[in-house]
Amino acid sequence: MSSAVLILLPMILPLAAGFFVIEAGFKDDLKRNIFIEAAACLTALLVFCAIFLAGSEPITIFSFTRGFSVTFRMDRMAALFAGMISLMWPLVLLYAFSYMAHDPGRNSFLGFYLMTYGITLGVALSADLITLYVFFEMLTLVTLPLVAHYRDHESMYAGRLYAAYTIGGASLAFIPVVMITLRSEGGTFIYGGAITQPLSGTMISILFLFGFFGFGVKAALFPLHGWLPKASVAPTPVTALLHAVAVVNSGVFSVMRITYYSFGADILRGSAAQDIAVFAAAFTMVFAAVMALKERHFKRRLAYSTVSNLSYMLFGTALMTPAGFLGGLSHMVFHSVIKMSLFLCAGAFMHVTGKEYIYEVDGVGRKMPVTFGIYTAGALSLTGIPLFCGFISKWQLFTAGASAGTKAGYVGVAALLISAFLCAMYTLTISIRAFFPQVMNPAGNTGTGTKVWTKEEIREADALMLIPMLFFAALNILIGIFPGPVMGFLGMIANGL
Amino acid sequence: MIEILIALIVFMPFAGAAAAYVLGNGNGSGAESKRDTAAVAVTAAEFVLSILLFAAGKDMQGFSLPVLFTEGLVFTLSGFRRTYCLVTALMWFGTTVFSMEYFRHERRALNRYFLYVLMTLGATEGVMLSGSMMTSFVFFEILSFTSFTWVIHEENEGAVKAGYTYLFIAVIGGLILFMGMALLYHAAGTLDYDALSAVFRDHSIAETGEIYAAGVCILLGFGAKAGMFPLHIWLPKAHPVAPSPGSALLSGVLTKVGIYGILMSVLSVFTASFRFGLTVMAAGVITMFLGALLALFSVNLKRTLACSSMSQIGFILTGLSMYMLLMAAGEHHAAYMTLAGSMLHMVNHSMIKLVLFMAAGVVVMNIHVLTLDEIRGFGVKKNALKAAFLLGALGISGVPFFNGYISKTLIHEGIVEAIEYSEGLSARLPGLLHVVEWVFLVSGGLTFAYMCKLFICVFIQKNRDLERQRAFDADHRGMGLCSTLVICIPSLFMIILGNPAIIRALGSLMSGDDAVRGFAPFTLGNLKGGFISLAIGAAVYLVIVRKIMMMDGKYMDLWPAKLDLEDLVYRPLLTRILPGIFGKLAAFIDALPGNTFFVKTVPFILTLTGRTLVSLPDTLIVLLRKSIVRERAVQRGNTEKVGRLRVFARETYDAAAPLVSNFSFALLMTCIGIVVIFGAVIYLILTRM
Repeated sequence: MSSAVLILLPMILPLAAGFFVIEAGFKDDLKRNIFIEAAACLTALLVFCAIFLAGSEPITIFSFTRGFSVTFRMDRMAALFAGMISLMWPLVLLYAFSYMAHDPGRNSFLGFYLMTYGITLGVALSADLITLYVFFEMLTLVTLPLVAHYRDHESMYAGRLYAAYTIGGASLAFIPVVMITLRSEGGTFIYGGAITQPLSGTMISILFLFGFFGFGVKAALFPLHGWLPKASVAPTPVTALLHAVAVVNSGVFSVMRITYYSFGADILRGSAAQDIAVFAAAFTMVFAAVMALKERHFKRRLAYSTVSNLSYMLFGTALMTPAGFLGGLSHMVFHSVIKMSLFLCAGAFMHVTGKEYIYEVDGVGRKMPVTFGIYTAGALSLTGIPLFCGFISKWQLFTAGASAGTKAGYVGVAALLISAFLCAMYTLTISIRAFFPQVMNPAGNTGTGTKVWTKEEIREADALMLIPMLFFAALNILIGIFPGPVMGFLGMIANGL
Repeated sequence: MIEILIALIVFMPFAGAAAAYVLGNGNGSGAESKRDTAAVAVTAAEFVLSILLFAAGKDMQGFSLPVLFTEGLVFTLSGFRRTYCLVTALMWFGTTVFSMEYFRHERRALNRYFLYVLMTLGATEGVMLSGSMMTSFVFFEILSFTSFTWVIHEENEGAVKAGYTYLFIAVIGGLILFMGMALLYHAAGTLDYDALSAVFRDHSIAETGEIYAAGVCILLGFGAKAGMFPLHIWLPKAHPVAPSPGSALLSGVLTKVGIYGILMSVLSVFTASFRFGLTVMAAGVITMFLGALLALFSVNLKRTLACSSMSQIGFILTGLSMYMLLMAAGEHHAAYMTLAGSMLHMVNHSMIKLVLFMAAGVVVMNIHVLTLDEIRGFGVKKNALKAAFLLGALGISGVPFFNGYISKTLIHEGIVEAIEYSEGLSARLPGLLHVVEWVFLVSGGLTFAYMCKLFICVFIQKNRDLERQRAFDADHRGMGLCSTLVICIPSLFMIILGNPAIIRALGSLMSGDDAVRGFAPFTLGNLKGGFISLAIGAAVYLVIVRKIMMMDGKYMDLWPAKLDLEDLVYRPLLTRILPGIFGKLAAFIDALPGNTFFVKTVPFILTLTGRTLVSLPDTLIVLLRKSIVRERAVQRGNTEKVGRLRVFARETYDAAAPLVSNFSFALLMTCIGIVVIFGAVIYLILTRM
């Protein structure tokens, strides 16, 4: 099989299968689930085949004039993102089957969900700016029905907000996309910078900021973060996979692509634009963490936490050093693992109990020990405790920030510190409440550990939900203890090897 | 061989913890006793192993596990590490044996308790044997979280509140430490203690701003666990609510884990750093005095002991700072004496607090209260307990011929030497050090005063309730044989470690320098310092405690609960001030004129453009319908021919309508519209540039 087929097939397959599910539909839930799962697994398999077998030469599908073309390429950076989401998608689908089992719109939901997979792969594999931009826009469109899935007032509002923010942001990013495409060999990504014809420093700064904030909208950068917490009204599979991993990481991924592969870190380092970008990221980290602390809604709190953590990645990216890039990349991967497990736990809690606020978790941990055990591992990891993978990326970011040698770098390190502490507060309080309820129970005596969920009998989440959760928790600990291979691979990307 | 020994010491407790948990979770009536046996067996084995290591590891180097974590795990051996490994194992063994009896009537959640106690043992040994700061940090964080379950063990309101405080102080300490390590790593390129001391052999390197910042972060991070001001707030809260064997470990060992980190960074990086020495001195002196003062005010047995721990940590830190100042002044001999004094005070304090907290545990397990008025007279007839407590009290108060005297005297000697030699460093320093010396002596006096208060209250005075006193007197032991042994045998260390010959040997082993071998503790000058302290203490006890703090024969609760740093500063900062600032900031941004542009005008324009563009196709179609493909009522069965164009258009429209009229399509249109607009703009710019 030629490289072209290898690379194109994984993108086309989920799109076609998803379209088929939406249009043709399935009467039988089980058959549909098997079909979707099979398609997703096959896609994932193809992605891994492509990672190992396809060459790294670009494959042009068709081209317009003057180097505007749709081109894909499987370089290491693409392999990282594509491989990461391929590891997650089939698993989260299992969770989604269970979570959406009784939803009337599950057919179209699951269809769109599968299609999103194909589009995200497109973002990952695109080899030049135009292709990236096209898939970036398509990602917004295909996830819109998912965000507004419940079709009630709140969901529709969230959907409109989401569309307005991301499309507006992308239009901002379009300016540097066009400029760079015109000033380089068709905008093809080259590590270290693709610009071939000189541009003035001011122009580059302005263009970079447009790109940073424009693509940064999907990465929920302050002040354009508003859509993400609102979008947590969507079903948990969406908030978990899309709004903690696929969509938001596409934003970060695109920022990384334009920073390191289009402009090149060397011409941006030390510019005013870099300082602005670092400060914006540093501010978002702390701001979102404070907001998360104030938030009482379980998933919205996690959403704010995502906002904060995405800025860690942007901070690492904006440091413009290989160490910073490595920090951003590793946090992108590890945060995905962590946040998946956190969201899946939150979803399991909401699905089982029907509650959605943090003050309602009192004592649930005793009834759902596995779920909240996994949650606690995720929370510790997110805070940056050794044994868990969050520690590795935070260590990388801290050292990168300290060694950047700029004022902005130190500001960022301080912001990291504050936000990590706040992170402990907003995630671990939930764990403590779940295992050690502190409110008085209806009888009026302060619970001495005997206080349990009194309203209805709560059981542990079912196996379909637990399998993905356990997988991510295991990954979390495994990478935390043996980070060598993963960090080695990421290091190769960061150093442009 | 030595590798296996170290690996066993560090990792065996983790396996043992899992085994004990599994055993305790099993069915059948014997599950609990099996688990208890397993727990004791693990700690006993650990004790034996650490004795072996202490005996065998004289010339051994340690080993590393490079694949784990980012920097790998490194274990090293030195006199100090071997000693503290042994002390840790001993304390764990003692408290675990004691906890068998302590928990006899309170058998809830013990599986969890022993699981985490044993895990903490492994983590603590990991810190004590660690050869790089990263290794210290990894185990430090593990023990922070595993020991959290002791604090929260009782699960009542106070325990949960204390648990929150403990956890957040642990987290913030860990993160600050993390940042300090990152800064240090950046500056030095390594975190291995030996490699660091090679890098900083030239002491002037350590004087840069970045290294100092790293040092302050490391000090705060490890200091949080040690109970150093201003992160001491967890200590007086966590100890009273934790089960007594747990408090003994928290105070006796876990605070030393913090000290270990500070000590190691001092020895490897800040050996002769003047600035860092002053910082540690400030923290140490405040902690020393504040802890003693709080202990004096407290009327809760375990809280007094907790504040006392804090104060003793201050003594150790003061000693360390004197080491740095003396090294900076070039007085190596005196510096190493002070260092040995600080290290010995660590060991002494561990042993003392082991005895005192277990004695407090005997009180708790019998009568379940800790307030002085209620436990008054508890030990009047309990001779074994009385003797053990007395030895502990004499040790900690620094009475000559007991262990505390020697280590405190060494530290005091360090301050006196520093006064003499520090003029070269800074003209004002000797005056400052005179103040430090007096604070030191007064704090020592306060130690004596609050220990008198405790001892006289529990073991001499009779309870005001005669019924109660009779009940107390009926029981002459208050504890079983095993507990008596594990309390009384360690109390003998107060005498053994009070022997100058033993102290000299231990001191030179731990500090790795022979300076302390020439130390004579019972010279006139040294005894004078000790007696000044004791005299101050006696005066404070007789005048302040007996006359002012007691009213109508009752101990008044003068605990300054209102002055809680946590409630006054930390909580408001996090819950009100920070969100307040961000709220204000958000409001400010909202109020900016430019913001209106971005938040209102731009979306408005975008929306307007979008809407226009979206309605374009509709308008187009409407126009088409009105013109070319105007509809006519087509009747059923009518054979009238309709124009081909019309049929085509109609079919197209019918097919396109569902596609066109949905939201995604509209957005696609918006997008294309915006793209076109921007494309045109860019094109114009480019062609005119």
